Amino acid sequence: MRQAFTLYLRLVSIRIRSQMQYRASFLLDVFSNAVVVGVSFLTLALVLQKFDGIGGWKLWEVAFLYGMVEIAFGLMDMVFSGFDPSFFGKRVRLGSFDQMLLKPVNIEIQVLSSEFVLRRLGRVLEGLIVLILAITNLDIQWTIVKGLYIPIVIGGMVCFFGGLFIVGATITFWTVESIEAINILTYGGNEMMAYPIHIYPDWLRRFFTFIVPGVFMNYYPALYILGKADPFHMPAFATWLAPFVGLATLAASLRFWRFGLAHYQSTGT
Amino acid sequence: MNPIITVQNLSKHFKIPRHQRGAFGALRNLFNRQFSLARAVDGVSFEIQSGALVGYIGPNGAGKSTTLKMLTGLLAPTHGQLCVNGYVPWRERRQYVGKIGAVFGQRTTLWWDLPVVESLTMLQHIYQISKNRFENNLYEFRKLLELDEFLDTPVRSLSLGQRMRADLCAALLHDPPLLFLDEPTIGLDVVAKERIRQFILHINQQHGTTIILTTHDLSDVEKLCERVMIIDKGRVLFDGDLNRLRQRFGGERQLQVDFAEAYPDLNQPGAKIVRQEGNRVTYQFDRRVVSASDLITRISSQYRILDLQVGDPAIEDTVRRIYEERLLEKVG
Repeated sequence: MRQAFTLYLRLVSIRIRSQMQYRASFLLDVFSNAVVVGVSFLTLALVLQKFDGIGGWKLWEVAFLYGMVEIAFGLMDMVFSGFDPSFFGKRVRLGSFDQMLLKPVNIEIQVLSSEFVLRRLGRVLEGLIVLILAITNLDIQWTIVKGLYIPIVIGGMVCFFGGLFIVGATITFWTVESIEAINILTYGGNEMMAYPIHIYPDWLRRFFTFIVPGVFMNYYPALYILGKADPFHMPAFATWLAPFVGLATLAASLRFWRFGLAHYQSTGT
Repeated sequence: MNPIITVQNLSKHFKIPRHQRGAFGALRNLFNRQFSLARAVDGVSFEIQSGALVGYIGPNGAGKSTTLKMLTGLLAPTHGQLCVNGYVPWRERRQYVGKIGAVFGQRTTLWWDLPVVESLTMLQHIYQISKNRFENNLYEFRKLLELDEFLDTPVRSLSLGQRMRADLCAALLHDPPLLFLDEPTIGLDVVAKERIRQFILHINQQHGTTIILTTHDLSDVEKLCERVMIIDKGRVLFDGDLNRLRQRFGGERQLQVDFAEAYPDLNQPGAKIVRQEGNRVTYQFDRRVVSASDLITRISSQYRILDLQVGDPAIEDTVRRIYEERLLEKVG
């Protein structure tokens, strides 16, 4: 385990070093990444300003949701980029995944360290700015638990989205044509979680409650931190589900991955 | 001596989804998938002794790579038994791959954006090679493969030949008793091919490494292997020593002629037309029956020709001949 971890650090440091080779272009990359996502937030902010919020949530309350999910998705997109279905699918197709199978190292560690897209820090940065702005503009009744819960919720979302990436990567063992379907879940889930869930139609809300339980990742923790009432009268523990759902999604996705890998070895490409 | 590789009745069948056409073809594909069965490897058995250098040859799509993928643990067989160096490769892949070396000619095991030497150092950590052993091996391979000129070059900027040399070094740093090479000379020029062959021979003789190599270049086999296995359509057609194969088919040569115009009858006594594409005709002849110069003189006196070329028959033609002559015997 320790050997695998040091190896992971070694491999990731290669990825980071090669991206830092051209410092100026790297910084520009991070910056433009932040600007691109930042602009989309500005558009949202302008609209919300004009209509005075959405579904009873004010601009900065939505910004809180938005900042949280952006930080988490950005971090995930950086750490789990090896499992990004579009990258990974290419690896399977070109046979470089076989080269990983030929090395006597845990395969998940190898996939995880095969990419580390550092410029996603731009998105994390943008999310962080939005979150800080939201917190300073909101009148939150802070407690220690709330303060501690924020990073835990973000960690939970990283696991949750990471799990979806792994599921998507696994599907490419069978077919590369369905990448779009899984992208709806990851990128769509990211979008969906940036807004209060009660603005969506019931069927969509149910889908993201019972099938892909995204609502617990951001919305319920936010209700608690912002001190808002739950319009759906879920049991009180819904507030605390985020880290567990995140870890459970990751664990389940890894089981699915193992199953897919066995299938891959029995069919080839 | 115990064989290092035992393969019994090994098969690998692939289910290939059949695409349905028509307006709702894609939809029907989704719900009612129909498959056709491709027998990439179909009942192959052999044993390989420790220290052997075996050529596994056949035309494209014959099942060479699939066999190699099973031998290296990348694929699980559909039927049959497979035991390599005391392991069942696909079942114990992670432990197993640490004790073999493998080079798939078309791909690199090295890190694309790292200098060669750093890639090799990374492999030292991956295979947990002691510092001493690593340095000794690297020193030896650096000299033999002439790696020094590009040791600090990123892998992505290497030429194909350089990359192959670096990959060979990478595959052997951990002193594997077994080395699998898939098309190690594909796409290389004559000089580069020769250098690679010399190295393969050296590793086999000096380190006692058992080497299995696939190729569709018959001269690889002629220069390297005592034993050759010919596979086609998933089955072993010939397994035995190279001398026997050469005796049987070595007398055969080919003459390719580009005629200036189309002639009705191009048959020549002592030679057989094996291919004809437009005005380009390939004859195959036995040099013990008719010499190349006689044949050329005869043809050029009868017809107007643009160009000609004498060569050894392609492996595809040899395989076809083996088929025709039903030489399905196996020599252990």
